[in-house]
Amino acid sequence: MNLFKAELRRIARRRLSLIFGIIAAAGVLVLAGVFWFTSSKGPTAEALEEAQAEADRMNEENYEYEACIEDEAYLEGPDYEWVEDDPYYDGLSHEEACAELFGVWTAEDLIWTYTFDFAEESPLLLIGVAIVAGLVMMMLASSAIGAEWSSGGMANLLLWHPNRMRVWGTKLGAAAAVCAAAVLALMLLAFGLLYLAASVRGDVSGVDAGWWDENLPKFARAAVLSVGMTVLGASLAMLGRHTAISGGIIAGYLIVGDMLVRIAAMALQMPFSERLSLYTWVTAWVDGKTELYDWTDLYAETADVMVITASEAGLLLGGIVLGFAVLATWAFQRRDVS
Amino acid sequence: MPPIIEISGLRKTYSRAFRQPHNALDGLDLEVAAGQVHGFLGPNGSGKTTTLRALLGLIRVDGGTMRIFGEEVPQRLPDVVARIGAVVESPQFFKHFSGRLTLQLLAESAGVSKTRVEEVLEQVGLRDAAKASVKGYSLGMRQRLAVAQALLKQPQLLILDEPANGLDPAGIHHMRELLQWLAHSQGVTVVVSSHLLSEVQQLCDSMTIVSRGRRIVDGSVADIIAGHGDSSLTVRFPDAASLPEAAEALTAASGSLDAAKAAVTASVDRDRLVVRGAPEASWVTKTLADAGIYLSELRTETKNLESVFLELTGTAPVPGQTVQIGESAVVPAAPAEVAVGDVTIEVESEGAER
Repeated sequence: MNLFKAELRRIARRRLSLIFGIIAAAGVLVLAGVFWFTSSKGPTAEALEEAQAEADRMNEENYEYEACIEDEAYLEGPDYEWVEDDPYYDGLSHEEACAELFGVWTAEDLIWTYTFDFAEESPLLLIGVAIVAGLVMMMLASSAIGAEWSSGGMANLLLWHPNRMRVWGTKLGAAAAVCAAAVLALMLLAFGLLYLAASVRGDVSGVDAGWWDENLPKFARAAVLSVGMTVLGASLAMLGRHTAISGGIIAGYLIVGDMLVRIAAMALQMPFSERLSLYTWVTAWVDGKTELYDWTDLYAETADVMVITASEAGLLLGGIVLGFAVLATWAFQRRDVS
Repeated sequence: MPPIIEISGLRKTYSRAFRQPHNALDGLDLEVAAGQVHGFLGPNGSGKTTTLRALLGLIRVDGGTMRIFGEEVPQRLPDVVARIGAVVESPQFFKHFSGRLTLQLLAESAGVSKTRVEEVLEQVGLRDAAKASVKGYSLGMRQRLAVAQALLKQPQLLILDEPANGLDPAGIHHMRELLQWLAHSQGVTVVVSSHLLSEVQQLCDSMTIVSRGRRIVDGSVADIIAGHGDSSLTVRFPDAASLPEAAEALTAASGSLDAAKAAVTASVDRDRLVVRGAPEASWVTKTLADAGIYLSELRTETKNLESVFLELTGTAPVPGQTVQIGESAVVPAAPAEVAVGDVTIEVESEGAER
């Protein structure tokens, strides 16, 4: 327990933790600020009146429209006699038909309003916050392990605690605990700020028991994904004994590796080739399930469908994280500390 | 009292791609008695740090046994580690942590009280620099912090790799006094690996010299120097022209000495005569006076630890040549014993390969 507390303190006191913490909190603040400043509950009566006056002025300059409005028989002339036969114009009044033909400005055309719908838009934002927080924590965890190797701190620590399994387990536990706390804190902060922005300048209706039932599992899975990313980052840094190796492997896979896998799958004309991409499995895990469609049979009336559930995605992603953690454990137990 | 550290037949081989494996430790033996300051010496690459790392569980070995406080390590190391303070190789710390925080984190991890942190900071002279971040520390200050870290647990065994590295003269003096006080007043056993041979000579009670992963010699520092002393006499004369005549007189007189005694040799070295094997200094003065030659200076030259070390490890400099790493003495597997006064010193080799 002493070692665990010391590890928590070591992570918390690192300069990078402070920098990442400030950046993450600032990022959430900026996100909420964007919605605060772009959202509104609708135009004011004064703005609407002003826009209507402007629309009227612009319509007055639309001479064809004006002529059409003023002459009830305008559309019966040789240029527009086809209108009578066009089913699109059936049931439209003369004014409506004129507006359709020559265009008409309304107040709404001149006022752009956006209303932040919290119930509709916040789940994606909150999941995004959790995943970005997970990426940040993954970097922080790999940096904490990598820096300990490169600074010689690991050897120092082992002189005090020679049981390597205990040291590694504690480090992993501390990194996961800090990640979980950080993700939870950021999600709560983001939820609070976004809800505030929506309640003052948007719409918070729809956040009811049903909304929670639908979204809470997604938030929880996103948070678990973040913890898994942290464990993966720490394990890779332990394997490579350097922060850059962990970052390099992850960035390399996400940028190049995933693309190569997709290209290979396409070249092989593999059905459901998207299943080779980790992004697909991450999406399935967070969303609860994802459906893949195969249209390779050009004569089929419907596409073949493959459903990946959250449980299947969890097994695969968990297996990958566990695999690297076991590999790192084995390497740490076996290798010399120089 | 059983030895605090017992190492027997320790082997460590590093496999290298496309090259011969390197035997860093080749059957090394080491014993350190309780309450002593023990020097652990050897040329670069002789296996000192590898031995300390193996002893402290940082690296795996390929053979041999190691015991600390009678417990087999590394298997039982967790049981005895609370009694061991150690610094291995150059001390490294998180640059942005202060000296105090560095120690506090270690203390917290092992349940050591915070007051002990302040005590060791005071003890190593870092009290006023404790707030500063380690990145601003000099090498000597980092060395002091490393020693403070090792002292934090109030260890019964202190293992220090190059503790004087980077210290200023006052720091070296302070470190020497501290380690001797720990050993002789507090009963702490101190093992010091160092290349500062004059420092080892002043600091240590006993020592082990290793070369190419094997022990060459061990015993008390005084006995080892005495055993390899081979002291000589330097004689000067008012007139340098007397040198050949004096050498002849001494060589001739040596024939009348007891056959059991070593033969006396006298050689001219620039403006002085170097005499080896003389029974006493008075024999030289009397012999020369009898021959009508009067000396102006007679001095006994005693070997110091440095010359003994260079001789034993086969790393004495040769004009025009540079001693390469790994070119130290080759030690045969079977040790030999030589008697020095009342003490028997185990000597494993004196033969240099070079």
